[in-house]
Amino acid sequence: MAGIVLRERAVEVGGGRLTMRFRTAGTGPPLVYLHPAAGLHFDPFLETLSAEYTVIAPEHPGTSAGDADAIHAIDDLWDLVLVYEEAIRALDLEGPVAAVGQSFGGMMAAELAAHRPDFFERLVLLAPIGLWREDLPIANWIMTPPEELPALLFRDPGCPAAQAMFTPPEDPGEALALTAGLVWALGCTGKFVWPIPEKGLAKRLHRIAAPTLIVWGADDALIPSAYAREFGGRIVGSRVEILPDCGHIPQLERGAETLALVRGFLAG
Amino acid sequence: MKIVAFAQNQYRKFPDDFQDRHEGTVTAPWSLAEPGEIRAAFRDYLDYIMQAARSGFDGVAFTEHAQTSYDMIANPSVIGGAIAYATETEGLDVAVYPVGRSLGKAREPVRVAEEYAMIDCISGGRLMAGFPVGLMFDAAINNGVPPIEVRHRYEENLRLILRAWRDPEPFAWNGRFTQLPSVNIWPRPLQQPLPVWITGVGNPATMKMALENNFGFNYFGWFGSELTAGRVFARFREVADGVGIDANPNRLAFMASVCVGETDEEAERVYGPHLEYFFNKGPGATQVGKLAIPGGISLPGIRFLLEDQAGDFGFAHEMRHASAERIFEVGAAVVGSPATVADRLIGIARGYGVGNLVVMLKMGSMPRDLVSDNVARFAESVLPRLRAETVGDDLPHRWWPERLGGSPEPAGAKLDALAGAA
Repeated sequence: MAGIVLRERAVEVGGGRLTMRFRTAGTGPPLVYLHPAAGLHFDPFLETLSAEYTVIAPEHPGTSAGDADAIHAIDDLWDLVLVYEEAIRALDLEGPVAAVGQSFGGMMAAELAAHRPDFFERLVLLAPIGLWREDLPIANWIMTPPEELPALLFRDPGCPAAQAMFTPPEDPGEALALTAGLVWALGCTGKFVWPIPEKGLAKRLHRIAAPTLIVWGADDALIPSAYAREFGGRIVGSRVEILPDCGHIPQLERGAETLALVRGFLAG
Repeated sequence: MKIVAFAQNQYRKFPDDFQDRHEGTVTAPWSLAEPGEIRAAFRDYLDYIMQAARSGFDGVAFTEHAQTSYDMIANPSVIGGAIAYATETEGLDVAVYPVGRSLGKAREPVRVAEEYAMIDCISGGRLMAGFPVGLMFDAAINNGVPPIEVRHRYEENLRLILRAWRDPEPFAWNGRFTQLPSVNIWPRPLQQPLPVWITGVGNPATMKMALENNFGFNYFGWFGSELTAGRVFARFREVADGVGIDANPNRLAFMASVCVGETDEEAERVYGPHLEYFFNKGPGATQVGKLAIPGGISLPGIRFLLEDQAGDFGFAHEMRHASAERIFEVGAAVVGSPATVADRLIGIARGYGVGNLVVMLKMGSMPRDLVSDNVARFAESVLPRLRAETVGDDLPHRWWPERLGGSPEPAGAKLDALAGAA
């Protein structure tokens, strides 16, 4: 992203079993961003937030460049939550910490906030996974053929944000590395949610103490927006916002509205 | 050289447009199945295996596919038990070779160890134990195993099974996927050690594992042996050289669909439609995405596949609509007169240094009489020529049951060493 300066931090976690890497940008109060299943990408949403916050984004184990095998050091979701918790704690962040998580990252943010109710001052969940209703099955994004992904993720697959996401780089080597990285990231995150992305979060959501904002696209084809109420009903005092004409990635497809909601909420 | 007869038990009565409307695996609609045909399919399948066992083959083989209409053998141990007993009562000294069970999916590995041990006991020591990693959709969809864990589960399951067979004492198993306070199976296999075979598609890591652990390596030619076999067997030699292990042809098997007619023209005309049925409605009617689910292939493996797409998978992407002519052309089946078939198989055995040929003489929609003719013609007119071949005969066959002339050696040491180091 032009104009944004990304910094890197790395901390050893799990008793030395692996290294967690962070990308950070901006200045101001700390804001932890937990990325979706496809890996970390600094999009315009994060760029804008980094004008007011220090955005701190951990890379899911296995998705950091040159460290693909780190994923094998973690066996299950319990391991994973502890590793994320340890890594964020090791940063010694000053002042109240906010967290934003999208989709898979939304589930991770909710897991962390439930595990450590004192951890986050405020919590934003953008179309999180983690719950399951028999009558509203969640699409299997890991097995969705590439040509069907735009329609799964966007209400309007022709919108500029979708075009930007799915137009491969011109350089063939770069395009290949990007595709390979995406496939591997889906595998690394999928490890903890395959084959049904419901691992008991419903039994833990009540532990969340942070004021929580839940944002969903009304036309989310991956996780139906009815799940917004499922999260809202379980997180005491949370607020649910559903954006019309919007798919699974509100911060890209309805960037201005989502930013306004998130900034307003974080400012208290 | 050893000659083994193999088949899958494919549903034979699908409508012509099946492959345009359905998947052959996972979602193949059971509503299309006719109960009478299902019953006949199993009877014809077992009759084929027994005909081969009576016709002078060195072994018979079958495998495992779950939720798959092109092979209704959901558990090869069921077939293995039936065949082991029937051949024993008739005094047929054939190897009994379940090419599966897949261990990447297995959630009860000790049960697998027990089933194979029972087959070995029932057959009086004629089992060849096949353990493929397995098809990704079978592990991940049919059995819910996270794709990224499939390979690790495979290796742990295999170590546990090999120890359950060989350890004379009860032992505790504290694995990542299986924890058991006391493993002490009854029966243990008669054969100590048992020959172990791995089936692979060309992954050098699988080849290395087979070589270093003294497993046989089986490769099949359905992707079009003219397109793939040369590069895959050359890679096997490279990997063998790299780890300093001899290229004894007996550690290699090649699996091929084989159709024998009176003449080349007659064979192509008679078998062509059934081969189309097999490929179009079978392996071809499986979305590639089901075989390459994210997480199932390592990051370097993904890069390799993206850079070298057609390579190892030959005409796989064409299978759903491949014509008989195309199937012949790429060598996805060996079809012709007895002389043509014998020449081709001898060419493969000599050319690639393969000491074991696994021939699939029943496939697709072939009716039972045609299957029976194919077996008879192969046994009468092809087998004698293959018998005259000596590929591998000057070297010990360490991947064949001792009762049948082999000299198996312990397998799996490297897996144990790697696990111990981890």
